[in-house]
Amino acid sequence: ENSPAPLPERAIYGFALFLGSWFGFILYLIWAYVPETWLFSLGLTYWPQKYWAVALPAYLLVSVGIGYILLFGINMMSTAPLNSTNTVTDNYAKKQQQKKFQEEAIPALRDIPISEVNRMFFLPEK
Amino acid sequence: VEERPFRSASGEPLALRRRQHSASCRELALRRPRLQLRSLSAVTSAVWLAAYGVFVLSENSMVLSAAIFITLIGLIIYLHFVKIDQESLLVIGSLGIQLTSSYASGKESTTFIEMSRVKDVVINEAIYMQKVIYYLCILLKDPQDPQGVSEVVPLFQSSQPRLDCLMEVYKSCQEILDQRKEAPQSS
Repeated sequence: ENSPAPLPERAIYGFALFLGSWFGFILYLIWAYVPETWLFSLGLTYWPQKYWAVALPAYLLVSVGIGYILLFGINMMSTAPLNSTNTVTDNYAKKQQQKKFQEEAIPALRDIPISEVNRMFFLPEK
Repeated sequence: VEERPFRSASGEPLALRRRQHSASCRELALRRPRLQLRSLSAVTSAVWLAAYGVFVLSENSMVLSAAIFITLIGLIIYLHFVKIDQESLLVIGSLGIQLTSSYASGKESTTFIEMSRVKDVVINEAIYMQKVIYYLCILLKDPQDPQGVSEVVPLFQSSQPRLDCLMEVYKSCQEILDQRKEAPQSS
């Protein structure tokens, strides 16, 4: 039931969003460019200050730029430090079950302890 | 006594010195290049020229005295707290492992870990900044879980030797650590 295929309801949602976003854009242009006196003469007096027509896009662009740097920084902060046990093991590895060794079968997948891995890599096989 | 040249991760030359004190006692010392006169003079001249430039613009002679003061204090702090000349590892089979860092000012800071707390000495790979580095570390036993690791102590943090040097140190340490398994479990 959760397929991404086009459906009539989705077409209607899409068209409503399309009309709504065009309406919003035209309204924003009117608010930003039409002089206040003309709007007052039509009776429309309760608008936010025109300052915000410039300030909000500026805020938005700066947040997008900061977001790139912030995401990079959050990534670096979440990396485990060199002295943490998370570089060596984790909860799943600690709780893993040892499957019995069967002859002529591929050994079961498991997390090999780091001491064993090191011995295999770095100590010469005699 | 044996001394071999290696390189650090950033390319600076290191010297690894291995001393075998006895069958179960070994000392591995990694020596870094000392503070060079040319880099010291380069930094000092740069700071003093910048201060002179600020003095010419602002006509305030305090800038010059402040620059002299800052370079002197900064040099002392750097030599005493930052510049590590030698990091060494002393492995005594039945007793423990001692880590020593010697600073350029002569200060030495040591850490001793008893052998009963040591689970293993391994070469671990981890993400550091934007790179993946190899580093040697001591795994400490967890008192509750015999197979678990309670703490990881990274070694040679400031020298950051490359994998070939780490393999040499690893093999030396493993020879000593293997002996405690062969020895009968007395207590």
